[in-house]
Amino acid sequence: MTEKLSLTELQQIIKDSLYIALPDLYWVVAEISEMKENYAGHCYLELIEKQPDEINVRARVKAIIWSNRYRFLKSFFESITGESLQEGMKVLVRTKVEYHELYGLSLVISDIDPSFTFGEMALKRQMIIKRLEEDGVFSMNKEISLPMFPQKIAVISSKNAAGYSDFINHLKKNSYGYVFHTALFETVMQGIETEQSVINALDNIAEFQGLFDVAVIIRGGGSQTDLSWFDNYNIAYHVTQFPIPVLTGIGHEKDLSVTDMVAFQALKTPTAVADFIIESVAEAENHINEMSSEIVESSRIILEDNRNMIESYRMNLIPVARLMLSDQKEMLSVRIIEMINFGKDYILRAGLLPANQKSRLISATGTMSLARKSEIERSRIDLMNFTLNMLEKIKTSTSGLLNTLKILDPENVLKRGYTITIKNGEIIKSINQLTEEEVIDTQFSDGRARSKVIERQKTKDKR
Amino acid sequence: MAKKEFSFNEAVVEIEKILRNIESGDLDVDKLAVEVRRASELIRQCQKKLHTTEEEINSIFKDLV
Repeated sequence: MTEKLSLTELQQIIKDSLYIALPDLYWVVAEISEMKENYAGHCYLELIEKQPDEINVRARVKAIIWSNRYRFLKSFFESITGESLQEGMKVLVRTKVEYHELYGLSLVISDIDPSFTFGEMALKRQMIIKRLEEDGVFSMNKEISLPMFPQKIAVISSKNAAGYSDFINHLKKNSYGYVFHTALFETVMQGIETEQSVINALDNIAEFQGLFDVAVIIRGGGSQTDLSWFDNYNIAYHVTQFPIPVLTGIGHEKDLSVTDMVAFQALKTPTAVADFIIESVAEAENHINEMSSEIVESSRIILEDNRNMIESYRMNLIPVARLMLSDQKEMLSVRIIEMINFGKDYILRAGLLPANQKSRLISATGTMSLARKSEIERSRIDLMNFTLNMLEKIKTSTSGLLNTLKILDPENVLKRGYTITIKNGEIIKSINQLTEEEVIDTQFSDGRARSKVIERQKTKDKR
Repeated sequence: MAKKEFSFNEAVVEIEKILRNIESGDLDVDKLAVEVRRASELIRQCQKKLHTTEEEINSIFKDLV
């Protein structure tokens, strides 16, 4: 035991032993707990294996991917999984165990099997979906109805993300000229802080319930499309429980994250989310416009019907009014003739009356007939006004029309003592239409009589 | 939020009701005029909400974040 080794010599023994004991390349399953790319493009990692409780670590080792391999593996991995290599990810790596006198033990990674990670991710996602389904919450956000006019929008995004400005610009430039109100709730959209950050934002928005119509979770597209941060039970659960619809535009071409799946509507890009909102409003406005023209059309039909009804009443009214007028005129004419005749007789009989009395008598007769004439004129005007008033009333209120019109119904005119003379179904309005010995019908309010014209006398001063 | 909020959904529901009323043909002309006036007022309000910026809302939103 007197032999002494230098540290370098000891390290050399370790190195040789390891080289002999572990000569091959090994496929190792591990989780990436830390990952850093240095200035030269080499990738330094820390790999761990957790206890079954998924919290405590039972094994830990340093690892490295040299830059020439890393450049290739990085893009290969992304092309298969759609994700970049990142902390928290489970990987299957092909490694060589190496020992360095200065840096100790490390695994040099020469290959990665992306399909293992892909399967792990899918499995993890499946488990989250299953859990959400078992909780009975999976489709809760989808069951909320989208407000017809989603104008007030809570935005979950990061201010500097390209997707955010795309979204805002797209909304602002909408071709319909709608105004949208947005409030940004800044969040980390990638990395380990994503979960807590997004949940905090959702909680904040939920506090202002009633202020917002819809919430959107958006993130720029590009190559940085790590979806797995949104394959997260807690984020997804919060979305399902959210009181207003959540729209997502997380910017992934191939796949949907669990958050997308439970959202009210998942869209590929922030721009697509903006379009969805704009089109929803346009659809609602279109609905209103359609109703508006239906209201106009239906009202027009109703007014047209009313106008037709009034017109037909008017058409019915005119003959009745004419009939009444001509009856009155006739009656008055007969009186005037009688009076003139009477006057003439009287003058003849009293032939010896003084001239001044004679002229007084004549002028009195004239005055009387004038009075009669103005009476006719007055009743004509009265009747006209009455008719006009009636029409006016009909116009303003169609409902009371029928009752009002009953007064003018020919039947009621008959009740007042007028009759209608009919020959061969035609109303007789002039004595010229009749000859002696002809059979005529007389219509009373309560019946009809048939008679023969015995004598026919024309009113003398009537043309 | 002291002011009574105009609600799009309520407005649309009311317009739909008015339309149904008119289409039923039971309205007389006086009531028709009242309903049409109400509907056009609601439609006008909707259009206004869609196309005008409300400073009030914007300032509330700004205070939020």
